[in-house]
Amino acid sequence: MSGRIWGVGELIGELNAQLAGAFGDVWLRGELSGVKVAGSGHRYFQIKDAGGMLSCTLWAARADRLRFKLTDGLAVLVRGKVNVYAQRGSLQLDVLELVPEGVGELQLAFEQLKAKLAAEGLFAPERKRTLPALPQRLGLVTSSSGAAVRDVLKVLSRHDHLQVLLVPVRVQGRGAEGEVARAVRWLGRSGRVDVVLVVRGGGSLEDLWAFNEEVVARAIAACEVPVISGVGHEVDFTIADFVADVRAATPTQAAEMVVARLEDQERRIDRADEVLRHVLARRLDRTRLRLRGAEGARGLASLPARLGELDQRLRRLEALPQRLRALVVARHRRLESTTGALLRWPVRFGAPRRREVVTARLAVAVERLRFVARRRRMQLDGLGRALAALSPTAILERGYSITTREGVEAPLRDAAAVTAGERLVTRLARGELRSLVLGRDVATQGSLFEQPGDGERGTGDKEET
Amino acid sequence: MSKETFEEALSQLEDVVAKLEDESVGLEDALKLFERGVKLAKRCRTQLESVEKRVEQLLAEAGDGEAGETAPFEPEES
Repeated sequence: MSGRIWGVGELIGELNAQLAGAFGDVWLRGELSGVKVAGSGHRYFQIKDAGGMLSCTLWAARADRLRFKLTDGLAVLVRGKVNVYAQRGSLQLDVLELVPEGVGELQLAFEQLKAKLAAEGLFAPERKRTLPALPQRLGLVTSSSGAAVRDVLKVLSRHDHLQVLLVPVRVQGRGAEGEVARAVRWLGRSGRVDVVLVVRGGGSLEDLWAFNEEVVARAIAACEVPVISGVGHEVDFTIADFVADVRAATPTQAAEMVVARLEDQERRIDRADEVLRHVLARRLDRTRLRLRGAEGARGLASLPARLGELDQRLRRLEALPQRLRALVVARHRRLESTTGALLRWPVRFGAPRRREVVTARLAVAVERLRFVARRRRMQLDGLGRALAALSPTAILERGYSITTREGVEAPLRDAAAVTAGERLVTRLARGELRSLVLGRDVATQGSLFEQPGDGERGTGDKEET
Repeated sequence: MSKETFEEALSQLEDVVAKLEDESVGLEDALKLFERGVKLAKRCRTQLESVEKRVEQLLAEAGDGEAGETAPFEPEES
């Protein structure tokens, strides 16, 4: 081949043929740098390591299939064909496949989107809305077949006042994310629902992938009503979970939250209702008791009778010590005469011993009598005090008064017993009043001190003198 | 009655209950509070029971802003 003169394109063509033959597809390990996205959608970047650098081209059609974003510094494995780009005469790698190194492709995509949306503040706690006071009209975004929709409807059927509007979507496979996002948007704008549930049963990371797509995250974030997410099992966290207003661990739990909210509100009403009735009933009972106590004024009405009774008992008790004394004196006399007789008893009949016995018994009897007398006295004192409390003076002290006709001892009980122009004397707790009767009203309600035997009191014969 | 006024009525009801539990409120006022409380409780309950149980699904591929047709929905047996 020596001495042969090549055309430039010809040489490059030959080089490329040789390169393809010698290397075919190669796998390269390195780090991305200088990542650029062209208007056409093609990606241009360099892959480098400590030993060198190689330009790479990733055509738009392949780039669009990547779930993660190409960023500078990303450690990757790339597969491609080495060739010389004829227009520039530079060596480059035509990339057929690119995978992140160390982490899974999906994991990487997840982390990348999560970081991006977090930086935008889409997961911020202050963005989270609370569930509505009455989440009664539910939008449900999920597959119309499968366990999730059954689980959710089963829980929701527990409440009698709940409406569900299901928007059936595919929840996995290519394009699922678009359907989910559109359903969330439509429900939010429909004005037909108070809250949206976005749910899917458990599955692999790949199965749940639609809920890690940016388009779904954006639809949830922009939704006009609060969104509850319930995707996968307890351990699964999706981007949808981060951006939703409320994250439920499972579809069942998402439904539970709604029902619990309604039941909670019902309980609040029930409790208020119960306390309302209970508190009022208690107050009414107490008031009724007080009224009953006041209306009869039994304590006051029976006062004279009680006073009379106490007076009698007191008199009997006052007489008692005298009677006792008389009794003791009489006994003494009888004993004295008996002992006198005993003393005169002949010695042989054992009189001295008998006398001793009788004297001892006498001492016991006297002691017992004294004891009884003391107890009586004490009772009497107690009664005396009780009576003092009820005595007319004490009553006067409480603001009542006793009125008599001038020069007459007996207190006035009946207005009918006086005529206009008569002079009266009223005893107060302190001092007396003298007054002239201007008129009388005999029909006034029975007095507080009403007693049987006051029958002659006029009822209804009102007279004015 | 909107949702906001439901929440409002419910917290008003709870206020009334708290006041009623206060013994120092006179009987006359207590009776007024009770009447008001009963009315509020009734309003809350009416609101809570205003929605009838229903499960529907969106039929047509409804685009943004379209009303969308619905039909009753029964989940398939597994």
